[in-house]
Amino acid sequence: MTTTTSLPESRAIPALGAWARLGYLLMLLGFLPVAATGIGTFLLGQVPMSHWILMAHVGASPAFALGLTLVALTWPSREARYGSISWFFFWLMLLAGLVVILSGVLPMTPLLGTEGQHLLYLTHRYSGIAFAVLVLLHLFSLRPRR
Amino acid sequence: MSVGPFLPAPTLCARLVEGSLQTLFPLLLGLVLVWGPQAPAAENLGTESRMPYRHVIPLRDHNGDMITPPAAFDEQGKPQEPRGSPYSTARTCGKCHDYPSISQGWHFNAANEGVPAGRPGEPWILTDPATRTQLPLSYRGWEGTFRPPDVGMSDYDFLVAFARHYPGGGVGEPPKERMGTNDVRMRRMQITGALEIDCLICHNRHGDYDHEARYKAVLSENFKWAPTIASELGVYGASRTAKAFADAWRPPRPAATNLPPIKYERHRFDSGNHVTFDVTSKAASESCYYCHTSESHLGDSRWHADGDVHIRAGMSCVDCHRNGIDHQIVRGYEGETKDRPIRAEAITLRAKLLLRDDPALTETDALRFAESRLMEDLGKVETLSCAGCHYGSTDGQSAGRLGAPLPHHAGLPPIHFEILTCTACHSGPVPGNATEIVHTSLAHKLGLPAPIRGENTAPAIVQSVFLRDGNGKIAPHKMVWPSYWGVLSNTVVTPLLPDVVAKAAGDKLPTQANADVERDPYNTRPLTDAQIRDVLGALAPGRTNGEPVFLAAGKLYRVSGGELQSEEHAAARPYAWALGHDVRPASQSVGGVKGCADCHADDSPIYFGTVAARGPVDPKSGVTKDHLELRGDDRTVVSTFAFTFKFRPMLKVITFGCAVLILGVLLGRGLVFLSGTRSTPGRGIKQEPLS
Repeated sequence: MTTTTSLPESRAIPALGAWARLGYLLMLLGFLPVAATGIGTFLLGQVPMSHWILMAHVGASPAFALGLTLVALTWPSREARYGSISWFFFWLMLLAGLVVILSGVLPMTPLLGTEGQHLLYLTHRYSGIAFAVLVLLHLFSLRPRR
Repeated sequence: MSVGPFLPAPTLCARLVEGSLQTLFPLLLGLVLVWGPQAPAAENLGTESRMPYRHVIPLRDHNGDMITPPAAFDEQGKPQEPRGSPYSTARTCGKCHDYPSISQGWHFNAANEGVPAGRPGEPWILTDPATRTQLPLSYRGWEGTFRPPDVGMSDYDFLVAFARHYPGGGVGEPPKERMGTNDVRMRRMQITGALEIDCLICHNRHGDYDHEARYKAVLSENFKWAPTIASELGVYGASRTAKAFADAWRPPRPAATNLPPIKYERHRFDSGNHVTFDVTSKAASESCYYCHTSESHLGDSRWHADGDVHIRAGMSCVDCHRNGIDHQIVRGYEGETKDRPIRAEAITLRAKLLLRDDPALTETDALRFAESRLMEDLGKVETLSCAGCHYGSTDGQSAGRLGAPLPHHAGLPPIHFEILTCTACHSGPVPGNATEIVHTSLAHKLGLPAPIRGENTAPAIVQSVFLRDGNGKIAPHKMVWPSYWGVLSNTVVTPLLPDVVAKAAGDKLPTQANADVERDPYNTRPLTDAQIRDVLGALAPGRTNGEPVFLAAGKLYRVSGGELQSEEHAAARPYAWALGHDVRPASQSVGGVKGCADCHADDSPIYFGTVAARGPVDPKSGVTKDHLELRGDDRTVVSTFAFTFKFRPMLKVITFGCAVLILGVLLGRGLVFLSGTRSTPGRGIKQEPLS
């Protein structure tokens, strides 16, 4: 069900629907294990990931990617209602998420050699950290205000 | 270490020890040996040119005297034979090349004190088909090998057994006082002479070095004569061998003085009695292959073996495996520099050169600079490993050395470089579901004529076994399971040498029927349980130092309650050493054929391939494991990881699809933003919390 705010018809911004909420939830649920394994091993100095940690990281990544895609498809038309800060974080988050996904999947293809692979590895790491920060900031920007 | 040649000084000794002085012979001999002439450290001479120097040089005997064959006819016109003492490499080559430094080289220093053992390498394997013994030996103390003295094998016996492929020096030139001791084996060297480093084994340019002649010389214990005979400078001037002289010698009687001379080939000497040696500092690969051939395509390799890509490209072994005058040859593994301490002599020598170039330097500064320069040189060792040439050293320099192409490794995540050596994917045979038998020069006497060797020719060595190396990386290895009779005491097994076993076991050891010898020249028939039990029974009587046992194919056999029992035992564990060659082309590398599935599949050889222990017992009774088990990997993890690769294509589709959609949204919003029609947040819109 979609609700709208009491604005003129031309400025009506739909409220968050079920798909949007589901998408954000899926993104968060996917990102939690991905961040815990990826950023966790980095912070603990246990890089590179291996064994179960790596499998958990890779295994949770499709949920994250699907969630982020749902967010990308359902949120933009509604995001404007949360203010410019939130809007700013949202698009940065989306951009960082795209980089995370691409830098995660491109190494699985024979497109890049060792240097490119290493660059992607570092890009994946730091875009992942950036994404985590942006998610937190975005969530913070969505908090109820007086 | 003293490296001077053995000096028998027979005539002097013979005069001194007549009559009652005979009992003082060993002492006097010892004094003569200690104070006798030694090979002095030469100042290394060089031409500093890339053009090889033509070595037209005098031969020198073990006293340092020039060898001058008598004229073809004496004053009365009577023919004279060109007889003389065998030539000494220490005296001849050592005249211009620092023999003491050379003798510190990797090929000669195994028994020297304080030499780092380095990465485990190929052992010498004492092989005796009759007793089914295959015992890995090494003076370096590599775990899983035995030091020859620890199993009752003297240095002398070691030489007789292995000098066919041992280049001399080291244990071949023991300190002189050891030759004069009561060690009945070592003192034979007073007759046989020392086994000096034979420079021509490696440095002969055209391969006209007769390894077979050297092998026969060593078997005859003609140590001192071996370099001359093998270089085809002459032949024996008498038929009696040093072994015969040594066998007949009964100390304290003086050692024989009528040892066979060399009958030199007169045409090898010019008018000034100089001999031309066609030698090169850059040893030919064929020379290396005499000792370092590995052959797994048994029977007829010509259809299967392509050799190493580097050799095919025109390189030679010593392009990478380099050394200086100290002969500390680069072995080429990662982390090798830590195993190459800089010797004080090397610092002193370098400091001497620095002082010569800059007399203003103080000696202290010269030593300091010398050490610094040598450290820089040591850094170059790193650039001669696989990664060093192809990727460059850690400072990013030296990549492309020797024209090495920069590997692309498309699609290979960098984590692989942290868990795999280069050789894991590129060296040895293409991994299969089972290991394969490999023959090596050192173990199977390759390079010497013999009946065609087969799958079961002892010792049984297999490749490639993927184990972790000292750096924790997976690397291909060769592997041999020790097989020997021994005495078990407090979980430690002490091997018994073959002759001890043969003597004690008598007819309990199966003898090969004469009719079978032609069909099976290597006596490869495995022992049956009954035969093992009988031999163990024969070894038991009178033995108080422990329980007789037999080890083979990863198991320890013992008799308990009259029955033969077998169990896995630490002493029966295999010994493994990393293999580096032959290097395959990139298109035949692991990962270059089926991509990720070469390793990440539930039938991947490097994880799930079978490694069956080989030995002189029923093949079914040996220990069989797979590579991951030998490495101590977690089977569940490995299997699960391989299983996840079945979903890898789906993962790629999902994530790429998601990326395309997100990219589309971002581009769409970007276009809207650029067109200036975006909805502006916060203007007249009620902000809502996410609920």
